[in-house]
Amino acid sequence: MKVRNSVLGPGAVLTATLLLAAGCASKPAQVDDAKLKMFAPLPETIPAKAAGPLEAQVSLGRMLYYDARLSKSQTISCNSCHDLAKYGVDGAPTSLGFKGQHGDRNSPTVYNAAAHIAQFWDGRAPDVEGQAKGPVLNPVEMAMSSDQAVVAVLESMPEYVAAFQKAFPDDKKPVSYDNMSLAIGTFERGLLTPSRWDKFLKGDKTALTAEEQAGFQQFVAAGCSTCHVGALLGGNLYQKIGLMKPYPDPDPGRYQVTKVESDRMMFKVPSLRNVAKTAPYFHNGKVGSLDQAIAQMAEYQLDKQLSPAEVSSILTFLNTLTGEIPAQYIQKPELPKSTAKTPKPVEGD
Amino acid sequence: MRIPKFVPTVLAAVFLIAQFFQPARGNPPADPAASFEAIAQPPGPVVEVLARSCRDCHSHQTRWPWYSRVSPVSWLVAKDVKEGRARLNLSQWNLYGPEMAQLRMRAMCDEARFGAMPPKYYTPLHRDARLNAAGVAALCAMVF
Repeated sequence: MKVRNSVLGPGAVLTATLLLAAGCASKPAQVDDAKLKMFAPLPETIPAKAAGPLEAQVSLGRMLYYDARLSKSQTISCNSCHDLAKYGVDGAPTSLGFKGQHGDRNSPTVYNAAAHIAQFWDGRAPDVEGQAKGPVLNPVEMAMSSDQAVVAVLESMPEYVAAFQKAFPDDKKPVSYDNMSLAIGTFERGLLTPSRWDKFLKGDKTALTAEEQAGFQQFVAAGCSTCHVGALLGGNLYQKIGLMKPYPDPDPGRYQVTKVESDRMMFKVPSLRNVAKTAPYFHNGKVGSLDQAIAQMAEYQLDKQLSPAEVSSILTFLNTLTGEIPAQYIQKPELPKSTAKTPKPVEGD
Repeated sequence: MRIPKFVPTVLAAVFLIAQFFQPARGNPPADPAASFEAIAQPPGPVVEVLARSCRDCHSHQTRWPWYSRVSPVSWLVAKDVKEGRARLNLSQWNLYGPEMAQLRMRAMCDEARFGAMPPKYYTPLHRDARLNAAGVAALCAMVF
């Protein structure tokens, strides 16, 4: 028996639907202030670890950062894999080292890195100064044979010797591997990229659009803020990859460092600052796009299947974490000139 | 409507077969030096609250009751423990940097204060896990 409703005709229903939709669209997403408490703006500065003249150390560190003569082939510098003009990464799943070798893990961004609890995916270096010592001597990366070999290269250039003396005036032997890493670290501590997200956190509620704010709500609702939280949205804890669902990768992560069984598959949670610009993703660099990364994170870490709309919403928020690169600070300086004493490069390709 | 005679038999059979399908259950090693107690050194009242209301889901020292061996309840219990450990793990406090540790402690206070934790479905069956005002105050005193 068909009942015809004369009051609610199709026209009325359509009008009501349109009015409802319009009402929903015009209402801005209200970000829950309580949720914002889990975040903080990027610090203005990161205090230096090394004592001594800051400007001189930054200046020296900048030269060393760009100097490929710190590698065996003299073609690889810190900047080769952590490209300052490209948000601190090289865009490759794993980076190309000496003689075309590849490492096991994706090169993380150097921007804001000094504020992390430790360096490398497995936290084996306590700070950026410690990290700087690693790749230079790593046979698959810059492949220098020893720290003495590095010092020999630096000592062969009077301009470097002078720069080290200026940066470490109290040292009897200023040109050392330790001081090299201190200078690079001091330079890296200045690599900060504040973004619109920071403006929003500091009180400018117009810094994020309604869609971006809705994306933030989605980010929290999905559970991403369990780990990607704080001033860096990450970088402040170790967590297991494959927390809820086993992750298919043999890399044991932090276990390599601590040899503690329960540290298997534990990695330092990466910071999401500049995430939209630092593809590919995860410790193995195997995920090419950010929406895939979001979906996989939800699957392996939260046991959730996010809809394309939810992923897209979160992605909209993550784009607000792209910060401003300090163009002046990262400008490539003129490097000290090689002399007859400077060791020659060893064939790398 | 008369329930056919075979229905209870089928249900019993399904229930019995379900007992052969149990979730992974266990307590991973808990290094005492890595625990919240060792690292954060909370005062006595906090330790007491955590032991009573939080540890069973949020640490590697879960006390597994008899019904955690009975399907399908065992699946619900295992899911809660797995997710609880993922969100906050009092046995792996060494994996949190100083910023994260502060955030987690603040979250403990907030969740307790707003009655979000322990979950509303948990406390009726675990009356001793209920948080009273003193318990909440103890947790929040760590942070504020």
